[in-house]
Amino acid sequence: MTALLEITDLSVDYGEGAGSTHAVNHVSFTLEHGEFVGLVGESGSGKSTLGFAVTGLSKPPARVVGGSILLDGVDIASLSQADLREQRHGGIAMVLQSGMNALNPVRSIRNHFVDIFRAHGHVARGDWASRAAELVGKVELPASVLDRYPGELSGGMRQRVSIALALSLEPKLMVFDEPTTALDVLVQHAVMDTIIELQKKENFTALLISHDLGIVLESAQRVLVMHEGEIVEDAPSRQILEKPSDDYTKMLLSHYADPRAEVVELPGFEDRHRTPAAAHPPTVSSRTRRQDQKAIVVDHVSKVYPAPRRGEPQVTAVDDVSFTLEPGQSLALVGASGSGKSTLAKLITAVEKPSSGSVRFGDLDVGSLRRGQFRRLHRDVQMVFQDPYAALNPLHTVEYTLTRPVVNFTGLKGLDARRRVLELLDTVGLSPVEEFAAKLPHQLSGGQRQRVVIARALASNPQVIIADEPVSMLDVSLRAGVLALLEDLREQWGVSLLYITHDLLSARVVTDNIMVLNGGRVVEHGNTAEVLRNPSDEYTIRLLDAIPNPGRRDVA
Amino acid sequence: MTSVTIAPGSADVSAAPRITGSGRGRAWAYVARKAGLLLLTLWAAITLNFILPRLMPGSPADAALAKLAQNGPVSDATKAAIEAQLGVPTGNILEQYVAYLHQVVTLDFGVSYTFYPQSVSELVSTALPYTLVLVGVVTIIAFVLGTLLGVLAAWKRGTWLDTLPTLAGSFASAFPYFWTALLLLFFAGYVGRLFPTSGAYGPTATPAFTIGFLGDAIYHAALPALTILITSLGGWILGMRNTMISTIGDDYVTFAEANGLKPRTVALRYAARNAILPNLTSFGLALGGVVGGSILVERVFGYPGIGYLLFNAVTNQDYPLMQALFLMITVSVLIANFLVDILYGVLDPRTRR
Repeated sequence: MTALLEITDLSVDYGEGAGSTHAVNHVSFTLEHGEFVGLVGESGSGKSTLGFAVTGLSKPPARVVGGSILLDGVDIASLSQADLREQRHGGIAMVLQSGMNALNPVRSIRNHFVDIFRAHGHVARGDWASRAAELVGKVELPASVLDRYPGELSGGMRQRVSIALALSLEPKLMVFDEPTTALDVLVQHAVMDTIIELQKKENFTALLISHDLGIVLESAQRVLVMHEGEIVEDAPSRQILEKPSDDYTKMLLSHYADPRAEVVELPGFEDRHRTPAAAHPPTVSSRTRRQDQKAIVVDHVSKVYPAPRRGEPQVTAVDDVSFTLEPGQSLALVGASGSGKSTLAKLITAVEKPSSGSVRFGDLDVGSLRRGQFRRLHRDVQMVFQDPYAALNPLHTVEYTLTRPVVNFTGLKGLDARRRVLELLDTVGLSPVEEFAAKLPHQLSGGQRQRVVIARALASNPQVIIADEPVSMLDVSLRAGVLALLEDLREQWGVSLLYITHDLLSARVVTDNIMVLNGGRVVEHGNTAEVLRNPSDEYTIRLLDAIPNPGRRDVA
Repeated sequence: MTSVTIAPGSADVSAAPRITGSGRGRAWAYVARKAGLLLLTLWAAITLNFILPRLMPGSPADAALAKLAQNGPVSDATKAAIEAQLGVPTGNILEQYVAYLHQVVTLDFGVSYTFYPQSVSELVSTALPYTLVLVGVVTIIAFVLGTLLGVLAAWKRGTWLDTLPTLAGSFASAFPYFWTALLLLFFAGYVGRLFPTSGAYGPTATPAFTIGFLGDAIYHAALPALTILITSLGGWILGMRNTMISTIGDDYVTFAEANGLKPRTVALRYAARNAILPNLTSFGLALGGVVGGSILVERVFGYPGIGYLLFNAVTNQDYPLMQALFLMITVSVLIANFLVDILYGVLDPRTRR
């Protein structure tokens, strides 16, 4: 039997002439009928560009400059636009990266199906309604979603709808480009399960493009690892897991571990055997430096928001939460989206006021600060945000971004302020410091930007850093570096850390204690290693199970 | 696998937003909310129109008397006559307000100074149809035509269908109204003798709903209409083209292409359909502005519409006429915005929530 898809020597360039770059560089691989294959790589590896080329969706400035893409012997790259459109029924379908935005906001779900049926004429008019209902049923949605508009559905439901739409084309090959990336962990898990089951039942060939080796290894039989435009490894999943041959694959694999394991080691993090008793006694230097350290005391705090629409109940985002963050301690705040962890961060930074209970920082009652007192709080409690791409003003140099808080909070001026800025850059590991000081955000990588954001948070010499998903937008290989930086800050400067995340593995390596939130309530609280190794709450267990685990398919 | 299994799909289905109320009920609630807002702003505008003149020192009668006093002493009889003619407020402010509201509701805005003894409402109702037809129809034509050309330009980006209308449009709209008007007047009017150069109808015609008169009126409206079309078309083309180029880059357009929809469907129902939404707001403002007429165009062509009337009112300090016209312009902008809001509700399901 011949292969379904045969890609030979494919190259895709961005731009033309001297300024062009090779995004995909002489790539060759084949997909057999009914296979489930993963394509893994970090941002900029060319994996999405490859996906778009395979589906005939490359748009300028991307250009296919060489090679062939044979689907059942027909070269996709040489088809005319009209022929390409025709082959989309019964050919290649694609589910896009941000599936949440893949639906036309002003068209009902039903009309999305109708548009496809009408374009290809493969479903008789009388069967439109039943076929559409059947298709949404396949992705485990009720037929009632057909009369909804995309804005009325959750992210997971929208992604399911786009899968059903792609399925309606009766494709031989489905390309999934990061199908679950923007979704919440639990939803992500459920959608992946649906994709895996569908692939078995409907018997299409699947190409799953993802940055997450864990997700890919869990679902795919074979994995292609892509790095800088080239496929560096093409091997069955088991072999990738057990005997990876390429260094890049090995590096990617090294960033996965089971947070439930007795010993968890990541690159840059030797195992520390955290126990409550031995939780990092501060070193002598940091103790002398920080004699006035204060704890954050959250005491029976609730936050209730008014009903979003009339006739609906009010929303309790945080429900009777109490904890203390001691100086120099690190605490992970874990939960799926909507669990109230970000609201809690807002309460601690006085962005929101608690509906009941109190938040205290030393002698400061955070919940009832008056104008002018915020400065005192914000000098000592600083935030690091999730999205390093949005957290920096693109028009300001790094030096300007850092000088402002230095001048505002420490009163240093002129040369002293500049010296402090360079010192901060050195602290977060951006050297040569002078060179980085002069750069604009777009000249920095994601990891470098996040380091600038951390340096900005450090400018006021804070006692507490609240990091809200600081690494979730970064490539796996960059995560460890940023996490290690946060850890160093705590050990060397005695900064306490409130680490908000849904990623239990990173929580395991950077925090002493953990608190699991569900629906605004604390469902589990204790030493991080102990809680993750012996979870008692069902929700914690579900979160742990939702973590992509390269070895899971193996176990099952 | 030794773990608690999650029923596939359960996690995200339960996380879906609850949808309350029937679609129709929500639609009416939306209309009612917008109508309430309209009434509130209407009341505020009418009240401001009452308060503002009263914040100015003196009264029209004082101003007229001061002018007369420059030429010598004014007799008591003259003073009484002028006060009677121009009116002096009587009663306290509340009574005045009630009387004013009554006048607004009955469309009684007093007598024009300039066109004495014609009443303001008479003048306005004569001028209004000309402006409504001329500026209104042209604004709608310009919007529809400009939007279509913009869609075409964006869809065929980089081809002559894009560059030609885009360049010509920005070129034409860069001209000031009156300059285009003068050029047309000179070449198509005086030199070419293709169209009449002034007025809304010929000297022999009498306004009536007859084929002959309407033909004559359209013939006279040609040059001013062309002026407005030429100068406003470019804006609509560019506006639509630019928003559509951004929607073409949106994921739902890429996904529609990936699903093999017909290019026409993708262009119109996906890209253009979403791109037109922000442009509706500008269209609403333009529609509201129709009633204000187009002062410069009507002035250049001696066209007896609202713009021309407003020009006369301002140059002659005809306060009653001005006040009535300003109020009318404000009210029509508000109503046009209300209509656009309703249209938005129909076209964009997200606003109905």
